[in-house]
Amino acid sequence: MYDQKAIRRRRATLAVLVALSIGLLTIFFGDSAGGRLQVLQRGVQVVLGPIETGVSVALKPLRDAIGWTGNVLSAQSENERLAGEVAKLRRELAQAQTRGKAAAQVRALEKLSRRPAYPDGVDPVTARVIAQSPTVWYSRVRIDKGTNDGVRVDQPVVSGDGLVGKVTRATGGSAIVTLITDESSAVSAQVMPDSTRGVIKPELGKPEDLLLEFIDPKQRVRKGALVASAGISSSKLESLFPRGIPIGEVQRVDSGEVDLYQRVHVKPFADMRRLDFVQVLTDRPDLEQAEVGLP
Amino acid sequence: MSLSGGALTRIGLLVLAVVVLQVSAIAPIRVLGSAVDLVPLLVAAVALYAGAVPAAATGFAAGLLLDVGLAQDIGASSLVLTFVGYGIGRYRDLRDPAHGLAPIPMGAAATACYGAGFAVVAMLLGKVDTTSVSLFAVRDLLVVVVLNALLALPFFWLVRLALRRELNVDPREQRRRRQGPRDQGPIGLRGLEV
Repeated sequence: MYDQKAIRRRRATLAVLVALSIGLLTIFFGDSAGGRLQVLQRGVQVVLGPIETGVSVALKPLRDAIGWTGNVLSAQSENERLAGEVAKLRRELAQAQTRGKAAAQVRALEKLSRRPAYPDGVDPVTARVIAQSPTVWYSRVRIDKGTNDGVRVDQPVVSGDGLVGKVTRATGGSAIVTLITDESSAVSAQVMPDSTRGVIKPELGKPEDLLLEFIDPKQRVRKGALVASAGISSSKLESLFPRGIPIGEVQRVDSGEVDLYQRVHVKPFADMRRLDFVQVLTDRPDLEQAEVGLP
Repeated sequence: MSLSGGALTRIGLLVLAVVVLQVSAIAPIRVLGSAVDLVPLLVAAVALYAGAVPAAATGFAAGLLLDVGLAQDIGASSLVLTFVGYGIGRYRDLRDPAHGLAPIPMGAAATACYGAGFAVVAMLLGKVDTTSVSLFAVRDLLVVVVLNALLALPFFWLVRLALRRELNVDPREQRRRRQGPRDQGPIGLRGLEV
């Protein structure tokens, strides 16, 4: 059935080729540096060298094209990977910065409460701002502390920089704080150190500009003077804000000849659009103690 | 295939062209970190179209040229490629694969056997640490096998084109004959379709 001659020839060919290979290997390993196989190798390399160079040069455009395609593909995947890394790092950076900012605000709150003018006995409750209006027209924020934490309506709220506003609505776990930049806000304030008194009201749409009104034109108000809450404003009506909480500093004074009062522009210390942590002053200070703490 | 002068010339030129092309133009092109290896594909193609003996001879010649041209250990590639050619050729002789997609598994098998065989020879020669096989080498071999499998069909077609005049039996023609004309019935007679 099978051609025995062909089989023998086939096997013999294989045996010869294998024997040749092994023989070449053996000779090659036993060959010295200048041996015949080494010379043959160098000779073949000399002959093949120009051919290989020619082929390499001739096919370089093709190789470059394939390489370019590969590079583009790998660049695309690398770009995607790097974009992912950038996004991850950006998230981490944002988290770190947020944590840093929050820590700074908490530190500022602590520092504020240690100031000499700060009213004693106010029992502050630190709260995180969890929501705030995106527009400048509605100056209200929501905090994560409510009646369960002792927060009640009309309690003053401060940040690390100064007075922020007051609680206007409180539920069990959260509360709404109306900022002093809200059009409904009015805070009795005094210009230090002369204790010139007036009422701080906002200028609509200008969260960085408050107006201290009802200042007698005869009173001299200096630019850069500190403005703080005045506390009790009259014997009949008690101020919601304890005395001595810093509000801002005088920017400029408008005093027209026909005006009955001076209009003092005050820049608030607290940045109302970047509030993360605030403190709700849940207890009223003793009046006498507050008077002692006057700057 | 009869080992005529024309056949030997064609195979010789093919070997030279493929080896030169491989070392000077193909090897630098990296796809997924590895390069296509046309040499085992050539041996497999010759095995499929010409049989075991021409394939073993092709493997030997291509290996020798590789070893000499790249200043490798002369005989190492020859030994491995001789076995690869003979093995694939014997498979073709015994199983007669006439399927149109046969080049793909044959090319992949030849590449895998060449890679594995070369590693074994390198280990025997003390070129590779026998205590560990690096993951990189395994990955590289797998990528080359896949790339060669993808390239097998067009490459085998080119080799067939080059050798067609010298082939005694063309697997493609055989397949066509086996299929039979479409307008005939199962026993080859018109009008007796089932």
